[in-house]
Amino acid sequence: MKKKIVALLLTAAMAVSLMACGGTKETGSSENTDNSQAQNETQSSDAEEAAADDSQKTLTVWCWDSFNVDAMKTAGAIYEAEHSGVKIEVVETVSSDIQTLVQTYAMSGELDALPDIFLMDDQVFAKYLQNYPEVFADLTDSGINFSDFAPSKVANSVRDNKNYGVPYDSNTVIACYRTDYLEQAGYTIEDLTDITWDEFITIGEDVLAKTGMPMLTNVQGEPDLLNMILQSAGISVFDENGNIMLTNNEGLKDAMYVYMELVQKGILQEQTDWSGYQGSINNGTVVGTINGSWICATIMSTDQAEQEGNWAVTNMPKLNDYEGATNYSAQGGSTWAVSSSCKNYDLAVDFFAATWAGSTEFYDSILTDLGAIATYLPAADSAAYNQTSDYFGGEAIYAKIVSYGGQIPTVNKGIYWSEEKEALGVALSNILEGISDFDSAVADAQATVEFIIGQ
Amino acid sequence: MNSPKKSLTINQKYNITGWLFLLPAALLIFAMNFYPMLQALVLSFKTGIGNNQVWGGIANYKRLLEDRVFWTALTNNFFYLIIQVPVMLFLAIILASLLNKKDLKFKGLFRTAIFLPCCTALVSYSIIFKTLFAYDGYINTILLNMGMISSRVNWLGQVSTAKIIIIIALIWRWTGYNMVFYLAGLQNIDESLYEAARIDGAGPVKAFLKITVPLLRPTILLTTIMSINGTLQLFDESVNLTNGGPANSTLTMSHYIYKASFEYNPQFGYAAAMSYVIFILVAVLSFVQMKVGDKR
Repeated sequence: MKKKIVALLLTAAMAVSLMACGGTKETGSSENTDNSQAQNETQSSDAEEAAADDSQKTLTVWCWDSFNVDAMKTAGAIYEAEHSGVKIEVVETVSSDIQTLVQTYAMSGELDALPDIFLMDDQVFAKYLQNYPEVFADLTDSGINFSDFAPSKVANSVRDNKNYGVPYDSNTVIACYRTDYLEQAGYTIEDLTDITWDEFITIGEDVLAKTGMPMLTNVQGEPDLLNMILQSAGISVFDENGNIMLTNNEGLKDAMYVYMELVQKGILQEQTDWSGYQGSINNGTVVGTINGSWICATIMSTDQAEQEGNWAVTNMPKLNDYEGATNYSAQGGSTWAVSSSCKNYDLAVDFFAATWAGSTEFYDSILTDLGAIATYLPAADSAAYNQTSDYFGGEAIYAKIVSYGGQIPTVNKGIYWSEEKEALGVALSNILEGISDFDSAVADAQATVEFIIGQ
Repeated sequence: MNSPKKSLTINQKYNITGWLFLLPAALLIFAMNFYPMLQALVLSFKTGIGNNQVWGGIANYKRLLEDRVFWTALTNNFFYLIIQVPVMLFLAIILASLLNKKDLKFKGLFRTAIFLPCCTALVSYSIIFKTLFAYDGYINTILLNMGMISSRVNWLGQVSTAKIIIIIALIWRWTGYNMVFYLAGLQNIDESLYEAARIDGAGPVKAFLKITVPLLRPTILLTTIMSINGTLQLFDESVNLTNGGPANSTLTMSHYIYKASFEYNPQFGYAAAMSYVIFILVAVLSFVQMKVGDKR
């Protein structure tokens, strides 16, 4: 009897789990049918286009983060209101998933599976454009005015003098600090403006001693901050031909020593992953952060109400007396791409021309509602950029960020950027843990990147 | 010599029916498993980034010899293998013998409890371990409150501790799984053997070493091969717990293959070559195991 009950229970459990599996599969397949329906619709609408132009057309968009999703939805709503029969469908897809999917579809030749429009991280845009040019639709003669965007941003999505992307969010680096913590240690935001890293370290040590909190956090093994320091001083780790030059690079050495001093003195706390980094900001266990201006959205996403009004924005420290050192740098950001398989290329281009590349009102609304800072230059003249942010102590931070943007030094990056970042992360870990000395660690990093490029 | 042609014998008929039943599965396995494996072999002789593949002969395999990151990953894999597999299998066999005792109460409860970790998804348990051992995670808080450490330890951020955490995680996840095999094996050992041993004056340790272990040999062989196979292909833990860091000290070969194909500028040929190296390693190790372990 007992056995029977057990058997019955087990069968029931199995049935339930099978049903659960079936359920997920079903949702998956229904999504697929949705997609294929959308494709069928677009195809059929293509066919009917000659006869009548009022059939439903859908543009599918992939992007990540509620911040980007909401911005795209805003653009979609504006466009849908003016164009009946058009639907902009936004599917939230994580950045790394977009990369993997683009790569997989490109390798398998299944380009039809791509959405009409997708967002791509600026750090990898050039890499994907070079490796899979067949994925990207040429936008050069589409009528989108690329001179309306910050030139350093546009350059990222250009290959052989052809434009393949519509620049989106700003990558200008800002330093954000908690003014209440600084106050506890007897400092103001002015003390951290236009300073050098040496001065920053002195202040950081003092703040750590008085508040017990590190000034900054960073994801271990992904030294974004190091790359920001490098760019702020115009130090390239690649030469014009894309060769890696980590060894005998005085600027890199200076920057790495600054980074290591920050870690060793506890002024920079390394986190194991991005959620740890984000958590340190949102939970108030760190005084500040230095990152692309898109980090504002992360800062504002905290559930600690007391943080409101206690943040301030300023520029980042500069690399001491290094020649060409500035307080300005770039990090992250992203660019929209239209996929080559897009069945409604003209519609997609018109959509961009009407919103992302032609409407300051649109940029005003995403700036006001979402804090999305873009690189569309005409928008910078608008009054919205002069609005103040209560979250950041009532300061006009957007105008400030735009003013930083023009002062960023340019450096050579290229397609082996993530490999370089990782190799430097390994080198830093090895030196900090005392496994190898500076010169051999950097020589190893150089050899690693050279090896990968040598493929 | 042959008798005149006649219809198939009953045995031949059965044979053909049998083959017909096997055919769909066999075809599917060939199409889904063996064909991609052959394709991967061809791919491993090609070099280039992304879709721009050219024939490179054994260039990828030569390249492997010079790739320091690959050697680090290989060493890491063998470190896990040498430390984790014996510890885990030893624990599993001990637990199995304990749970096989006739007079043990709540046997089902214990068995379930020990087997339960295997039902956790690899990614979920990795993330749970990561949260536990995070800088501001539970383990640090508990140890700190108990006064066992004076300041928080960056468990996953240090070379020495990160490897150990991965091993602990692996043991937690896989011991119960192997234990089930031993439990099954133990059912086949006749209780009278133990009685005879007891009458001859053998203690529990001696009975374990002289009866349990020798009679479980086929099961031990099976679990060892499976564990070696699994450890050499370790991926989820390396990706989700430590992301290969710090300084590649926990990077596994499979993780490196993933990186070479999806995170770096994609080098699919090279990644395929690395996969074949793992394949050969697993095959050789299993072969050696079979030769050494199988005394039938």
